[in-house]
Amino acid sequence: MPITEVRHLIQGEDDIVASRQRAREAARQLGFGAVDQSRIVTAVSELARNIVRYAVDGRGEVAIRELAAGRTGIEIVVSDAGPGISDVDQALQDGYTSGRGMGIGLPGTRRLMDEMSIDSAVGRGTIVTIRKWRR
Amino acid sequence: MTNRPDTGHRPDTGHRPDTGHRPDTGHMTETIDQQRQTISELQTPVIQVWDRILALPIVGSLDTVRTQEMNEALLQKIVDTGAEIVILDITAVPIVDTAVAKHLLETVAAARLLGAEVMMVGLSTRTAITLVHLGVDLAGVITRTTMAKGLELAFGRLGLEVVSRRRSSRPIAEMLLDGESV
Amino acid sequence: MARVPVLQIGKTLVATVLEDLHDRDALTLQTELLGLLERTGVTGVLLDLSVVEIIDSFLGRLLNDIAVGARLLGAQMVVVGIQPAVAITLVELGLELKGVRTAVNADRGIVLLRQLVSIADRSTNGRASTRPPGLRTSHADH
Repeated sequence: MPITEVRHLIQGEDDIVASRQRAREAARQLGFGAVDQSRIVTAVSELARNIVRYAVDGRGEVAIRELAAGRTGIEIVVSDAGPGISDVDQALQDGYTSGRGMGIGLPGTRRLMDEMSIDSAVGRGTIVTIRKWRR
Repeated sequence: MTNRPDTGHRPDTGHRPDTGHRPDTGHMTETIDQQRQTISELQTPVIQVWDRILALPIVGSLDTVRTQEMNEALLQKIVDTGAEIVILDITAVPIVDTAVAKHLLETVAAARLLGAEVMMVGLSTRTAITLVHLGVDLAGVITRTTMAKGLELAFGRLGLEVVSRRRSSRPIAEMLLDGESV
Repeated sequence: MARVPVLQIGKTLVATVLEDLHDRDALTLQTELLGLLERTGVTGVLLDLSVVEIIDSFLGRLLNDIAVGARLLGAQMVVVGIQPAVAITLVELGLELKGVRTAVNADRGIVLLRQLVSIADRSTNGRASTRPPGLRTSHADH
């Protein structure tokens, strides 16, 4: 069943759970199976937490939309206004999950999703886009 | 007609096999999904060989998608049967390289989260040497060369023992002919 | 705490997570469980996650921490009911929770807990010796 785009702000810890619920609802409506729903919701939870913990003022935005390019998919864009990741490649490396600062959980999130891209620069902010296609 | 060796597959004519009607796309997707599920179940049957013991004989090569499907089926079976031991039989897995080993370790880890211990059987000498050579560490994974040995270990872990009921050493056929119970 | 009722049944604490937990609720759970272990001298904790549909890296690491903390306080913990989808996701995330003992459901969990507690009692690192020194009690031994 198709979904309309959903955007919501992240302003505090309570919004991590809210983000999970929105992602779960969207994934369910798009027909993703239970395990894929779990992957999507967990990925969103990781990204939402990054916002709360490391983004300026703990604020950011989550946009959830449907992808319809021949097959059904879900795209979630998590963005903030700073501080930005200085070395995106390093943040995506496995050993970084035990580090501190923005980027914790990024390698794990990538493993859960089919596609992930990060657009970030110090002082500018970060946009993380993740996608999953229904099988 | 393309020149394909006879693999039992239909030659690629670009058409779906004639099922007698023209299904619409939605119905076709559903059929494909159902068939995929059936193939998946046939390829990796999860068998309950005893109370709390599951056997999972893997036939064929193991890729990411297959591992994921296998894990889902296995974990659900663990929940349904309360299994505590899973015997993963890789005798019929042709290539066990780093990637396959990684997939198998994921299966082991996921089953553990449901309280089940996974042991691997069917590890050939060649596979063992390959894994050592590749630096793959199967530490923490119990392995045995055959299913029989794996079962024996599984029974032992559950405090079970297989005991012969035959009082004499006469062949069973003889005993049956004489009307003795075996 | 509303989201995680904790019952004491004999020498066992049974905690059932009923809702998706905010990070702070999870931390509260940790504090409450470890605090109860310290105060009551209970030797086993059964943490039921059968209703939980998501365990991300935060909760995953916290489960490890609670297990370690419980052991330091002389108790054993068994987590039960991790859903298949959650287990698969955790493994793919890279969290295997190797320090956490698990069982498929509460029945099996109680059996496992009993075994773990009796093994711990018999070993030299039994409850009495892992209890932090100077901690209460007028009894000479338990």
